[in-house]
Amino acid sequence: MGRIIEEIYVWRLPVRFYHWVNALCTVILLVTGMYIASPVINPPLGEAVWYNGMSWWRYLHFAAGFIFIANFLFRMYWALFGDDKYARFGGFRPWSPAWWGKPFREQLESYLFLRREEPNYVGHNPVAALAHFIFIFCGSTFMILSGLAMYGENNPGGFSELFFGWMIPLMGGSYALHFAHHLMVWIFPLYLIMHLYAVFRHDVVDRTSVTSSIITGYKHKVEEEPG
Amino acid sequence: MHNHQTFADIFRASGISRRDFLKFCSLTSVYLGLSPSMVPKIVQAMETKPRTPVLWLHGLECTCCSESFIRSSHPTIEDIIFNMISLDYNDVLSAAAGHQLEEVRKQIMQQYKGKYILAVEGNVSTKDDGVYCLVGGDSFLNTLRETAADAAAIIAWGACASYGCVQNADPNPTGAAPVSEIIKDKPIVNVPGCPPIAEVMTGVVAHFHTFGKLPELDRMGRPKAFYNTRIHDKCYRRAFYDAGMFVRSFDDEATRKGWCLYKMGCKGPTTYNSCSKIQWNGGVSFPIGSGHPCIGCSEPNFWDKGPFYERLADVSFLGTDSNADRIGMIAVGAAAAGAAAHAVVTAVKKGKAGHEPEQHQEKSS
Repeated sequence: MGRIIEEIYVWRLPVRFYHWVNALCTVILLVTGMYIASPVINPPLGEAVWYNGMSWWRYLHFAAGFIFIANFLFRMYWALFGDDKYARFGGFRPWSPAWWGKPFREQLESYLFLRREEPNYVGHNPVAALAHFIFIFCGSTFMILSGLAMYGENNPGGFSELFFGWMIPLMGGSYALHFAHHLMVWIFPLYLIMHLYAVFRHDVVDRTSVTSSIITGYKHKVEEEPG
Repeated sequence: MHNHQTFADIFRASGISRRDFLKFCSLTSVYLGLSPSMVPKIVQAMETKPRTPVLWLHGLECTCCSESFIRSSHPTIEDIIFNMISLDYNDVLSAAAGHQLEEVRKQIMQQYKGKYILAVEGNVSTKDDGVYCLVGGDSFLNTLRETAADAAAIIAWGACASYGCVQNADPNPTGAAPVSEIIKDKPIVNVPGCPPIAEVMTGVVAHFHTFGKLPELDRMGRPKAFYNTRIHDKCYRRAFYDAGMFVRSFDDEATRKGWCLYKMGCKGPTTYNSCSKIQWNGGVSFPIGSGHPCIGCSEPNFWDKGPFYERLADVSFLGTDSNADRIGMIAVGAAAAGAAAHAVVTAVKKGKAGHEPEQHQEKSS
């Protein structure tokens, strides 16, 4: 391998913007959410009006949550209507058997060390697309719906309760909803580990500078050495 | 008993003045959370409508709902069963027993076809044709189906009849099922709680009698008047929650100061009930007021959401009890280990496959 022979502009600004806002919000939500579930800091003795130990964490969680939702909706808009072939939903057709065909199988086999050549994709490979769909799309959707339902509990009859309160009986009660929200959040650190590992590994194996591409937007094709 | 007496008739007959009768109506409107303009409607209903016959069945239960009911303080139990409702069948409170009592039930079902209220305390054993709960020589499953067929509406008293309570907690040996799983074609009011608050129980009955229809229900079939907010939202310790001031053990300084019981496993934030508003025993206290975390007894399957003194429930996971955080950590740990193993295999494979380019690369970079 050697010199860079081609620069490809893969991740346009909306995609990079979404990625980093999403990453930041997810971390804040994870940390504040875990704190709300298990508040460890106890203020010294005194009057309750002097402190806002819990309400501050909750405020941060809700604020980050709404930014997360707005950002998610923005990305959905871009995926559906954006003029961006690497960020669109267009190629992702898990309902069609064809989609699970050769490209998906080859990519999966390469991850499982069943084939030697590594397929190379400019955008997301089919396995990555599936992972994003399951973890990021489905995971975020569940966290948003359950989160808004829980947020609505603060104000019965209000907007969130009216439009998302159906999550409570669906999950079998308020406690079950809280529990599901808490359990499902673990898919994000789980995804983070797989995501970072996959990115670093692709960077090392394919040398397409995929790691820096989410900052610069550019991936690189590197000259193949003969022999 | 069956001469279609109205409430007002009974009040007059028992020597209650009109002034006291109007006071009673205003008080009822207050308990139902209605505006003062609704008082005339209640008065009119009490004066013109016959007392609503109530058949009160007992299934698989502990009678704590009845125990709560008879301790209602506004109005008292005497008021309720002599003046408010015509409690024609209740195998715990009735003087009659056996065939005589069953006869009364059948009579009311015919005489007031489609007009009586069926109050169900306890739930239904469904396994093996319901043999685990036999009342009056028949399975409760059959009795319930038979009595519900001609009822105007069903009131499901308590966590048992509403959701199942301890009887259908895992592993549910008798196949206990709440009323809503057996009767599908009747309006059902769930009045959950173990037991429900006495004034909530009487309030629901008075509402049906006054307006001739069930109170407004929420998504889980509970009367909104009593179940639309959580214990947490009206808890007098809420300020300590927002401040982050928590009890950490039952004998610390925070306990003496009455701080929030959230960390002691209080289910107040996920429990819809009126305990922090109406309170118990005539407004004397409620669990949190007595220093004990809420156990969430008016929520579905609260026995399986334990332990009571932990925030996070233990769930059955791979045959052991575990909680969300432990499951999550195992999954994340497994992913990390998997990634590390994958990295090692990648390195070994690439090392074997491309020794040449690997060295070349080092030179060029």
